[in-house]
Amino acid sequence: MLSTLELSPQTLDADAPVRIAVKNLDFYYGEHKALKNINLDFRDRHVTALIGPSGCGKSTLLRIFNRIYSLYPEQKATGEILLDGRNIISNNVDVNELRSRIGMVFQKPTPFPMSIYDNVAFGIRLYEKPPKSELDDRVEGALRRAALWDEVKDKLKSSGMGLSGGQQQRLCIARTIAQKPEVILFDEPTSALDPISTGKIEDLLEQLKADFTIVIVTHNMQQAARISQYTAFMYLGEVIEFDATNTIFMNPHKKQTQDYVTGRFG
Amino acid sequence: MSDHIVRSYDADLEGLRRSLAEMGGMSERMLGDSTVALVRRDTALAQKIISADQRLDNLQREVEEKAVLTIARRQPLANDLRELISAIRIAADIERVGDLAKNIAKRAVAISGQFSPPHRAVVGLEHMSRLVQAQLKDVLDAYAASNEQKAMEVWRRDDEIDALYTSLFRELLTYMMEDPRNITFCTHLLFCAKNVERIGDHTTNIAETIHYLVTGQSIDETRPKLDTTNILVDLPAANG
Repeated sequence: MLSTLELSPQTLDADAPVRIAVKNLDFYYGEHKALKNINLDFRDRHVTALIGPSGCGKSTLLRIFNRIYSLYPEQKATGEILLDGRNIISNNVDVNELRSRIGMVFQKPTPFPMSIYDNVAFGIRLYEKPPKSELDDRVEGALRRAALWDEVKDKLKSSGMGLSGGQQQRLCIARTIAQKPEVILFDEPTSALDPISTGKIEDLLEQLKADFTIVIVTHNMQQAARISQYTAFMYLGEVIEFDATNTIFMNPHKKQTQDYVTGRFG
Repeated sequence: MSDHIVRSYDADLEGLRRSLAEMGGMSERMLGDSTVALVRRDTALAQKIISADQRLDNLQREVEEKAVLTIARRQPLANDLRELISAIRIAADIERVGDLAKNIAKRAVAISGQFSPPHRAVVGLEHMSRLVQAQLKDVLDAYAASNEQKAMEVWRRDDEIDALYTSLFRELLTYMMEDPRNITFCTHLLFCAKNVERIGDHTTNIAETIHYLVTGQSIDETRPKLDTTNILVDLPAANG
């Protein structure tokens, strides 16, 4: 019999460089300490899943990566999150530039009330002013990569809001990848979608990991097991166990992890 | 194996364990009875074993179906998944034990009217079968208690059975050479001995499965093998 690691169809490169390194990270909502001394390495061009019961801090962690918390004065992060060696939670980081490098896709699709074309072009125009023909190419490229092009190529001028939930989510992914980020954060991207749309998004994630470092928060254990190479199990603001996904789901070292992935506590 | 948030999940897993315990008990009885039937030339007992095997086959199918259904319904992970995979594997091993015991029973019927060699020819087989019965019992107990250490003891002890099989093989050859009228009987005995030896192999399979179930790892050592009959080419001396 093969070891659990070799069983995976997903190749895990243990020597891949670390794209984001979280070191001694604490996070506060006012007085409440929501994250306690988080240390995690996110490897380049790998999918890392964050799992854990509601309130464990996984979404909080995800939102620190692109500094959404900076909008709220009472929220504070201490420690380091190094993106290619630079601490992105320090005050002198250009948040707009950071968000162009770290894109985010949310639980509920968030298309803008504009045409499909403009939804995708919006992300590009935020940071660049490419000529029309190049913009067309990039919009098409992003829609193709998001596996949406064939479904929308004849109605690029119609509203993005008119698409189905699954299509809207892929539109948001297209908008994100059009900016050519290095990292894409997914916060429960399929929890509002039907199984077919979910399958398409999972298939897409598999493709995207060739070019992007992906961090995904999911409540669907089997989804995390299917699509990620690394998994961190979080509980009450701490990382309980972080390891190769196959280890976490087949033979975790900590009892708490095993109890959680097998549905014994939540 | 308890305390799932969904309690019916626990009931599913317990049901599987119960079916496996029943299968294990049946297979132990079948091996014991088939040996008795062979030694005593008890064809009525042998017939009972032959018909009991059907029930064991049905139970195996039931375990398999239940396990597959649970996998489909609950999408088990970690130790739960290993529990189900192990149940499928152990059920298959026990079912084979039943088949082999049934085969011994059939041979007990076949040789009932045959000319027979000295009684001690059967004694060796009886002894070997008792050892294997103890192995089977221990490994099933180890499974019931998820006791990996006990399972590994069974796994290591299998070499004794292999060694015994080799010596029995030589002994039966000797009887055949002494008197050709022994050949039919001894050939059947030889197959019975091989069946018992294979049942021993199934107990080690089960031990390996228990190791996987408890630790999540497969065994990387190779089991010591003392069955040398496959390389035995010289005929034993008449006094050997």
